[in-house]
Amino acid sequence: MSYLNVSSVCVDFLTENGSVKAVNDISFEMNKGETFGIIGESGSGKSVITQAILRLLPSNAVVSGKIFFESEDLLSIDNKKMRQIRGREISLIPQNPAGSLNPLLKNKLQVAEVFEVMGVNKKEGIKSVLGMLKNLLMKEPAHILENYPHELSGGMKQRLLAAMCLSYKPSLLVADEPTKGLDSFSKKGTLDLFRHMKREHGNSMLVITHDLDFALEICDRVAVMYAGQIVEIGAVTNVLKNPSHPYTKALLNALPRNGLIPLNGHTPSRINLPEGCLFYTRCNLRSDKCGSERPVTKSNKGVIVRCHLY
Amino acid sequence: MPPLLRIKNLVKTFEDNKVLNGIDIDVEKGETLGLFGNSGSGKTTVGRCIVGLEKPDSGSIFFKGNDLRAMNRREKKKVRPQIQMIFQHPEVSLNPRMKAFDSLVEPLKIHGWDDGYSLENKVEELINLVGLRREHLARYPAHLSGGEIQRIVLARILSINPEFIVADEPTSMLDVSVQAQVLRIMEKIQQEKGVSYLLISHDIDVLRKVCHRIAFLKNGRISGVENA
Repeated sequence: MSYLNVSSVCVDFLTENGSVKAVNDISFEMNKGETFGIIGESGSGKSVITQAILRLLPSNAVVSGKIFFESEDLLSIDNKKMRQIRGREISLIPQNPAGSLNPLLKNKLQVAEVFEVMGVNKKEGIKSVLGMLKNLLMKEPAHILENYPHELSGGMKQRLLAAMCLSYKPSLLVADEPTKGLDSFSKKGTLDLFRHMKREHGNSMLVITHDLDFALEICDRVAVMYAGQIVEIGAVTNVLKNPSHPYTKALLNALPRNGLIPLNGHTPSRINLPEGCLFYTRCNLRSDKCGSERPVTKSNKGVIVRCHLY
Repeated sequence: MPPLLRIKNLVKTFEDNKVLNGIDIDVEKGETLGLFGNSGSGKTTVGRCIVGLEKPDSGSIFFKGNDLRAMNRREKKKVRPQIQMIFQHPEVSLNPRMKAFDSLVEPLKIHGWDDGYSLENKVEELINLVGLRREHLARYPAHLSGGEIQRIVLARILSINPEFIVADEPTSMLDVSVQAQVLRIMEKIQQEKGVSYLLISHDIDVLRKVCHRIAFLKNGRISGVENA
């Protein structure tokens, strides 16, 4: 059995205007020790998937399908069991490191708080975070713990959060947009950090990103999401060096070095999904069939792709 | 003919940190000048000094040959609408309690509009200019994506016909596909309306693609300017 198995998962948000289909029949598997990336534009449902795995979705979300982590069905276990998994077995490095730390507390207190909640001796916990910060290539870790969050750069805050996550030795690390808004220098630091976590700690990692270069550097396999569906999935070099789906091609063409070609049009309404392919109106390779029939996933040159072209 | 914007020997210190140590920049009419530097290099401070959100310690900022720092309140009020700014974080760029329509109408009501349109028609013209649809007008910022908000911000700015726009990392929080969309719209607006941009970014690939020239900011000084 695979390490993480997401099978036919749908997430609908019930709103005043109707049911919003944020995630629409997603399936993928992850192996132990693997770094798996989910890429796609904002609103494609990438973060919703991670929240579904960690059961952190708001109360108006309706989740169906199966999510197996090792042998546990995460969607059916009770809250007590889930709390034991969340943070201990599966840890999240959130999207916005600045917004994840309390600005009024010294970093040391915030670190201690995590261990207090976990029921672990605070002193032991801080000691383990100090070791981890050193391990994550941070200079003067003791000094950093005496600082406030605003005294750290974005990259340093991210390392602090990573150290807090890793000090509990989670089996699966989930990172949500780790390079968003960072400059090239900080991005390189994040890349080094993730390479280090992969190499030294052997973590399995689920990385949510729209940074295609970062995905190419760090991931073993990637899934490309569009409008709540996976449109292409496979080894990262196959998907990003030799893309099959027109949407993956369009994403790559939008990179400045590839011409900064915009993807015109809008994503479809997620309340009333169109009958055919969800990318139909924006696709320059569309045919009549694409407008009337929703494509299913097919195998093509080592990747799985959801397109009538194959 | 003086350049549209000329910065001479701009100095700005925060406590004992001299962030800008004698900056000189010229931006011509219809030009996009890129300002490149790493986080903390002072790029945003340059932009904020230009639009008047920071007070420089010394130096001059000339707009169409007139020194902004030497102007009195009344003169500044006249010039300010011509110099606008797009901020980095779309999620805090619009009033969360105002629908997109009201955010677009606000500057029109304050500064007036004189091209013979009704208010509704003027707003529609603006959102068409930035590639949005009428349905976006009824949404609050919380129900708009980052790319949609940046385009509303751009439309709001364009409503008062500025000649110079400081764009501070306008796409750093956006996805690659949305980034391309926003930058191409900015390019199109420049071609149609002749506006000039100071495009602040830490992404040299983006600057090389969309700017006419790029100025490099390092250790509080412009270390070089190159043609893109």
